[in-house]
Amino acid sequence: MQKLSSDRWLGLLVFAFALVLLFVWIPLDTETGLLEKLRRRVLIGDALGPTVAGCVLLLGAVLTWLRPDPCAPRLRPENLRWIAALTLVFALSLALMRHLGPLVGSLTDTGYRPLRNTLPWKYIGYITGGTLMVAALSGMAQPAQKRRLWALLLTGFCAATLIALAYDLPFEDLLLPPNGDL
Amino acid sequence: MDIWGHIQLGVQAVFFANPAFELFGLGVSIVLVMVAAGFVLGIVVGATPGLAGPIAMAISLPILISVFGYSVDALLPVLGFLIGIMKGATVGGAVPAILFNTPGTPDAYMTALDGFPMSRRGEAKRALKIAHLSSASGDTFSDVVLVLCAPFLAILVERYLDLPEKAALLLLSLAFIASVIGGSVGKGLISMGLGLLAAMIATGEDFYPRLTMGAPGLSGGIPLAAAILGVLIIGEVFKSLEELRSEGPQKVARDTQSRQKHRLWPELPRLWPHILRSSIVGTAIGALPGVGSTLAATLGYTMASRSHAKTGRTPAFGQGAPEGIAATEAANSSVSGANLIPVLSLGIPGNAAAVFLILAMESIGGFTPGPSVFALPASGTNPELVIAFGLFTAMFCANALNWTLGGLFMRQVGIMSRVPKAILLPVVLLLTLTAIYVQEGKMLAVWITLAFGLLGYLMRRTGISPLPFVIAFILAGKLEATARQAFAATGSDPWLLFSSPIAFTFTSLAIFVVFWNLRGRK
Repeated sequence: MQKLSSDRWLGLLVFAFALVLLFVWIPLDTETGLLEKLRRRVLIGDALGPTVAGCVLLLGAVLTWLRPDPCAPRLRPENLRWIAALTLVFALSLALMRHLGPLVGSLTDTGYRPLRNTLPWKYIGYITGGTLMVAALSGMAQPAQKRRLWALLLTGFCAATLIALAYDLPFEDLLLPPNGDL
Repeated sequence: MDIWGHIQLGVQAVFFANPAFELFGLGVSIVLVMVAAGFVLGIVVGATPGLAGPIAMAISLPILISVFGYSVDALLPVLGFLIGIMKGATVGGAVPAILFNTPGTPDAYMTALDGFPMSRRGEAKRALKIAHLSSASGDTFSDVVLVLCAPFLAILVERYLDLPEKAALLLLSLAFIASVIGGSVGKGLISMGLGLLAAMIATGEDFYPRLTMGAPGLSGGIPLAAAILGVLIIGEVFKSLEELRSEGPQKVARDTQSRQKHRLWPELPRLWPHILRSSIVGTAIGALPGVGSTLAATLGYTMASRSHAKTGRTPAFGQGAPEGIAATEAANSSVSGANLIPVLSLGIPGNAAAVFLILAMESIGGFTPGPSVFALPASGTNPELVIAFGLFTAMFCANALNWTLGGLFMRQVGIMSRVPKAILLPVVLLLTLTAIYVQEGKMLAVWITLAFGLLGYLMRRTGISPLPFVIAFILAGKLEATARQAFAATGSDPWLLFSSPIAFTFTSLAIFVVFWNLRGRK
């Protein structure tokens, strides 16, 4: 069997998505139809806009399928591995950013919430998560250079601290992550 | 109040309102300070490979809104700063292209073709001066065209287009953008369809937030900044970081800038025809939504190359011809002003920089870009018209800075090419996510931004341009609202897009432009 080109795969996937959108998602997830009758007037309903979007997707998918570019870039296994690595980095660093401050704060009598706008509590989650994010991404971007771990962490720490100070010092009413959620 | 009254108020708003400090007893307005700060930042950003004007605009916007708030008074300082970045980045992009053969922006690839050979001959300073002169000339030319064209285009639109025609015009703009951006009409339409779909989430008129699948986090809709920054900035950072893995560490050439002085004026007679031609080409291309400065630079360079070949002058293009730098820089710089013609007169963004200007206008409020901006009231003032003239004034202030100090700054920022991308890009990413959090105040917005970043990455990896997505996302609400009003106003006419000769022409053109672009393209 002939191997499908990347554009044909793309066309096929978008075509399937557009069909699901048009025949499953939109009918199940909008309250009014394409048109609705209100006080004897016919008006455009909430489903028409998404349906137009679905039709545009369908047309794009058909054109991509019918006129594939043999030189079009292809999604490769290394791209998927890169996405997995990015997902892991963001999951870890954002989990640290979100939960470390409240976790440490829970060891105090008052808990984290009353402390969330005071030093050093307000920076704990942000700087730790930010340091990990910058260090991990820098290390992943140039693995051949074999930068030392402490150098990467120091770079991440400096960047996260400077950004935190840049937002926090001039603006009293701004809340760094995760303090707006708490 | 007549038009001159509005112009005067606009100029006053830039020069005299809210002095930031005093200089020799004269107050220097905050708008001027912000234009100058944005311009300097733009040059630095443009000179840094891996960064570009839109990235700096994206990161600055939430900070600027935090400083100036959401009042109408915030519009001119914030927009002035963003315009300064836009103009500065265009000039700055030439610096690493000329000095190190590493273009700071995609528009400057052609500049490197002749700029770097000149640098290697020890003529770096001359090359930078030519780039500066051409860039400032192209920029000024397109700003003059903007001031002359935008109001008249807006008046024409307001006078002759009713609701069905406006809906058809928006449709035509989207069809044009989807068809001409990127290498494939099909992929342009996919990008546009995804943008329209994302904008439809939780934005209907019914009480139930449509397409949210009952998720309470989505019931407020997708934050504009999260979607735009995710697809345009985070997606690009993901892709660039991955490319760094395969490229290895950057190798930056040594600065070979000569110290001898060069006078530029004896060269002007041979440069001016190229500058003028490229300025006209860049302005014409810039006025079309979606057609970017890279195409303008390529066209300007190609036309100049043909003309130069006929004269038989040496050096030839590609071997260090000053005319090559002049043609490229004039073309890519003249796009920036002309790009604001569809923004101000129709409310349609043409490129990434214009997207962030519209994002600023929508975030702050008090200024809705479109034909109504230029409406002259029967009595009293139109505050939007005053802001529009203030914006024009700010652009000319940025031009004046470009002519006077731009060249000086340009020659100082070559060092930015040495900043390692492997550190710079993760810092930009953290800064962008922080900016989103500060603006939205919840971690969910950060996750949504990352999700759109992943979408932007996948789009780039499959050859889909993200720009139709962003422009469709911005215009979808306006298109739907105009279509709803037009449908109601025409008594539920299902053929409203063909109901008048103008609407019929626009809709037919929208269909034609898609199928015309299918010819000879994938």
